[in-house]
Amino acid sequence: MSPPSFARALLFVVAGESWAECVAGDLEEEFGLICQSRNHFAGARWYVWQVVRSVVPLIWIRMRSGEFRQAALAALLGAAVPLVMLDRLWSFVYSQVPLKDGIGRAPSLLAVNVAAVCVGSAITGTAQSSGKAAWTTALALAAAAGIAVWASAGGAPVLYAVWVVAAAPASSLIAFRWRRNR
Amino acid sequence: MPKGESLGEFEHLVLLAILRLGQEAYGMRVRREIAVRTGRDVSIGAVYATLDRLETKALVTSTLNGPTPERGGRAKRSFQLTGAGADAVNRARKDLASMQDGLVFPQPGELG
Repeated sequence: MSPPSFARALLFVVAGESWAECVAGDLEEEFGLICQSRNHFAGARWYVWQVVRSVVPLIWIRMRSGEFRQAALAALLGAAVPLVMLDRLWSFVYSQVPLKDGIGRAPSLLAVNVAAVCVGSAITGTAQSSGKAAWTTALALAAAAGIAVWASAGGAPVLYAVWVVAAAPASSLIAFRWRRNR
Repeated sequence: MPKGESLGEFEHLVLLAILRLGQEAYGMRVRREIAVRTGRDVSIGAVYATLDRLETKALVTSTLNGPTPERGGRAKRSFQLTGAGADAVNRARKDLASMQDGLVFPQPGELG
């Protein structure tokens, strides 16, 4: 009998590098005891409830340890800064075009944004030391890309927003795996 | 621990649980000990957040033990009190005893 996989996955996402293993081990030990003394459903319910209640304290531990600061910095440099800088550049370019109607970006310019985010995110991916750190950074990159697109001055078509938010973490994870396999 | 930095109530409970459990002081046992003795159903995350804070304050140290099958092959982190941790517990006990000394406690419901 094993605990619910979604709760275990959530635990590994939120728990910091140094704590995930022992917290998961503790929960699995108690989960096994509850399953023996009662039933699997009671054990699963207890496990999920423990994970849900532990999310905030575990995130707090990570914030104190500096893991989140590194991920936030990577997200800022890998996604947010390139997108904001390009947005400012395109705004300037458009301001030089006479009789330009609206501020909606041309598809080619949006494609450049996506490419820039891919490159920036890939660089951050190669700098990660472990799979867990790579996943944390990937999530931070997705969030940073989403915020940067939302805050951009130009019109942001839904398809473009989806591409940016998906491309940032994907590039980072692919680059991390590429470097690890070398 | 610097002078003037006192233990929080939950930190105090966790330190006492570690002291009571000895070699068997790890996250889930600490959580269970507190639940059994105080009736508080705290989350494992809250216990580890406190243990992490106590370790930062150098009141406890931890050692990583090998994985066991009943833990799904995962390692166990055991905690021990440091000298500063023992001092903090003793100081807290002394302070509490001093504050309680000579007090006449009201009976439940006596004060309305």
